Amino acid sequence: MQGDILIEMKGVQKWYGGYQALRDVDLTVRKGEKIVLCGPSGSGKSTLIRCINRLEAIQQGSIVVNGHRLDDSIKAIDVVRQDVGMVFQSFNLFPHMTVLQNCMLAPVRARRISKPEAEATARRYLERVRIGDQADKYPAQLSGGQQQRVAIARALCMQPKVMLFDEPTSALDPEMVKEVLDTMIGLANDGMTMICVTHEMGFARQVADRVIFMAEGQIIEQGAPDAFFRNPQHARTRQFLGEILAHH
Amino acid sequence: MAPHFGLPEFGFLLRGMQWTVLLTLVAFVGGCTAGLAIALLRTCGHKGVEWFSRIYIGIFQGTPLLLQLFVVYYGLALTGLKLDAFVAVAIGFTVNASAFLGEIWRGAIQAVPLGQTEAAMALGLHYTSRMRDIVLPQAIRISLPATIGYLVQLIKGTSLAAIVGFIELARAGQIVSNQTFQPLLVFGVVGAMYFILCWPLSWWGSRMEARLALASQR
Repeated sequence: MQGDILIEMKGVQKWYGGYQALRDVDLTVRKGEKIVLCGPSGSGKSTLIRCINRLEAIQQGSIVVNGHRLDDSIKAIDVVRQDVGMVFQSFNLFPHMTVLQNCMLAPVRARRISKPEAEATARRYLERVRIGDQADKYPAQLSGGQQQRVAIARALCMQPKVMLFDEPTSALDPEMVKEVLDTMIGLANDGMTMICVTHEMGFARQVADRVIFMAEGQIIEQGAPDAFFRNPQHARTRQFLGEILAHH
Repeated sequence: MAPHFGLPEFGFLLRGMQWTVLLTLVAFVGGCTAGLAIALLRTCGHKGVEWFSRIYIGIFQGTPLLLQLFVVYYGLALTGLKLDAFVAVAIGFTVNASAFLGEIWRGAIQAVPLGQTEAAMALGLHYTSRMRDIVLPQAIRISLPATIGYLVQLIKGTSLAAIVGFIELARAGQIVSNQTFQPLLVFGVVGAMYFILCWPLSWWGSRMEARLALASQR
């Protein structure tokens, strides 16, 4: 079920001034693969996925997405961003637009799709995240869980090849976490390639093909969820898992 | 025997008021257009360009408006460019307004959460769309009370145009007062005219501010 290489990061180094956020990161993601990235805060997991759609620039190494090498040219960045959808911890819906307008803007502006077609696509994805009846509301009128599902639909409307999730449930009230995770599980079951930064280890067990543990800007350990959770190799990983699984 | 303050004198003041309104409109529309450009340059991310607009704002905020009007009216005349008084003060007020509005909007643009820009970038939206569709609509809403406040300042500030001989409301009042020897009455009427222009705007501005404060609580 896993096919061609979709994302390839090689020797990626990133600094914020004197602070090194990513140290020599290599990562290959194949089409259809679901990856969960975990690690303590400040370990570089968010930075890593933000480099994939060039929200952060890297200083060394290379990133190739769907055959396109990311460099500083606007054209390369454009091509890559068209293929990569992203969901943020704080939703980042556009507050002055309705749910439907949120979902239609990028397809119309960036993909130059006609408005009726963009609306049809938007409604289809809003249905898919089970929020079709809220299309004409503004984000502030929705609950956090609903907002995050709109954000997922908005990203899907661009028909990306891969979806990045940056702690999508961390800002949610506990009772809303499940509805967002269910949406993500549905997406995974449909074969979407996904990289998820999350502490939801139940989600990782259920859908991940690979779990990656990061600390201090490095990939420390990775493996299939079964082996990863049952038999972590590194002391650092065991310590982290001990800490987060203790209160789950 | 000096004429008393009557209908002709009142008509003269009204015409002055018209010029005040016209000058304000030209300066505000021109200042908005140029100010938007300044605000965009100031936030474009290019160091050199940002410095240019920072210096522009610094110069026009850091020197007296009176001086700027002198430079446009008398200074440009020295170079052979003799401008009509209205054109000269319109240019002076426009440039000055662009610096102040540019700075107000710079702040408003930067007050729109970074996540908005990031989400737009992640969706593949270009700078033009990010600004037009996402950032500016939110920034304008944020800046509305300050912008209206500046407009009120501008209406009253246009009285400085009298210094280069342009007859707007304040200057008209001075002329009528000199003719009628009724300064209290004349300037009372002039003040009431300014008040009629400014007060509704101030009221609208503070209502806007209250509504925004309410919206940000949600």
